[in-house]
Amino acid sequence: MIKIYQRLWQVNWAEQWQYRANLLMYSLYGLVSPVVYLAVWTTIANSQGSVSGLTANDFITYYLTLLIVDQLTSDITIHILANKIQDGTLAGDLLRPAHPVLTSTLVYNIAFKALSFIVLIPVWIILVLLFQPNFGMVTPGSLLLSIPTLLFGFAINFLFGATLTSLAFWTTRVYSVSEFFGALVVLFSGQFVPLQLMPPAIQTVAQYLPFQLFKFVPIEIILNKLSPETIARDFVAYLVWFVILFLIFRWTWREGIKRFSAVGA
Amino acid sequence: MNDTIHVDQLSKTYQVAEREGGFKAAVGGFFRRKYRDVHAVQQVSFNIQPGEVVGFLGPNGAGKTTTLKMLSGLVYPTSGKAQVMGFNPWERRTDFLQNMTLVMGQRSRLSWDIPASDSYLLNQAIYRIPDADFKQTLKELDDLLDLSPIMRKPVRNLSLGERMKVELAAGLLHRPKVLFLDEPTIGLDITAQVRIRTFIQEYNRRTGATVLLTSHYMADVTALCERIIIIHLGRLKYDGSLNELSRRIAPFKLVGVALGSPCPCDLSSYGTPVPSKEDGGKQYVQVAASEVAAITARMLSDLPIHDLTIEDPPIESVIERAFLE
Repeated sequence: MIKIYQRLWQVNWAEQWQYRANLLMYSLYGLVSPVVYLAVWTTIANSQGSVSGLTANDFITYYLTLLIVDQLTSDITIHILANKIQDGTLAGDLLRPAHPVLTSTLVYNIAFKALSFIVLIPVWIILVLLFQPNFGMVTPGSLLLSIPTLLFGFAINFLFGATLTSLAFWTTRVYSVSEFFGALVVLFSGQFVPLQLMPPAIQTVAQYLPFQLFKFVPIEIILNKLSPETIARDFVAYLVWFVILFLIFRWTWREGIKRFSAVGA
Repeated sequence: MNDTIHVDQLSKTYQVAEREGGFKAAVGGFFRRKYRDVHAVQQVSFNIQPGEVVGFLGPNGAGKTTTLKMLSGLVYPTSGKAQVMGFNPWERRTDFLQNMTLVMGQRSRLSWDIPASDSYLLNQAIYRIPDADFKQTLKELDDLLDLSPIMRKPVRNLSLGERMKVELAAGLLHRPKVLFLDEPTIGLDITAQVRIRTFIQEYNRRTGATVLLTSHYMADVTALCERIIIIHLGRLKYDGSLNELSRRIAPFKLVGVALGSPCPCDLSSYGTPVPSKEDGGKQYVQVAASEVAAITARMLSDLPIHDLTIEDPPIESVIERAFLE
């Protein structure tokens, strides 16, 4: 099994390397909105002293951490797989004795992350030099605690994305469905603003959704802002959502494949 | 039941959305879609023994590919049963996938951006092929298909014929016991066709694999398959030997004569003239098989004949008649 992932890694790395220019553009595009928000909120916080108790440094460290967390937990399954389902090229993957999503799609995702870091790191260093953040609150302990949240954050996001992508077995408009959920993610994950700036109602709803587990929770853990009780509760949430989404994905995929007609040819 | 492939009343019905052209229909279709049932395969039954090479024939849209896709576990049937090596294909069990292959001539399973040899290594891992077996099989495939010069180039840079070769090899590295080949020679030139054909023959001989193949090239069928299955509009039309089909459908021979003097003689008193087949100055008449001896004797005594041949009707026309029956 390990050999499969190893070979998939080699293949995916080689393939994606061919499209590095593309990837560069795509990654730079992804950096735009966090950088804009970073600039806007720091300016506001600087002029007022703080916003709802958050200082300029809180915003800077939040968005700089977000840039990295976002890259680590993001998922691009829909871009890898939806077309393959719709134009029937998935057939080739389905003939092989390995789950296409849990092997090649997963590795594609990870290879993409690895390559994106090549773009992200220089940009990140430049931003650090520009904004001079104080990361004094980050400790080895907080970094260590964040590792499982990053892994599970990605796992949950991946299963969520894979489930949405499986809807392509039923509808050709799976991108619209994904757009809708993308909006929910923006609202409830802490991607645009730290969740504590959101209205209380949204914060409450966010507690019951998996989206804050992709971004807000790992960021806050890295930045050492959560109480041990909250962290414990969040860890349970990761496990619960992982199991729930895994079961939903498995069911959707199985039912979807029954509808797959390997169109064309 | 020791058939390798057992198909019982297999059917597949697709629901296809359809609408008229034009704006009004487009708007209407948005709110209320009309569906039409397309019966791609209807109650098809057959059995294939281990080691058989069977030609699966039919005009475009006959249901050949759909049947192959059902047998390889890609498509769920609407009704009916199938067993391949004792497995229900659409359960897609590892042991089943590990032992069969589906090669589609018009569709690539290899990654376009990397050389085929990289994809082979990936297949080795996925199919859990031990190193020694992998090397040996690859060497054998290389001998048969001459892969060395082409498997290190990115697949997108290969010609159609080269691509088909690396594609076939990719489908066979795990030494499948059952091969479903959908148009394996499509679009290839004669030399490449012959190579692929010889290869399939050789693979079948060496490994005893069972092969079910579709092709529009009759040469593939005559060279490879003793038995053929014909389907038309989703229904089974014929299942038996190629020779038997010719005897049943076309109990006649073609008698060709080259005449000494260039006379456009009227041969219609001997049989039905076949003007479409005239070549090299030869004229052909179609004669009932039972009368061939008598008629050729008469022709030889009546006409100034240089050369005379007795041929079977071309298999294309036999099969075309089978479709129409």
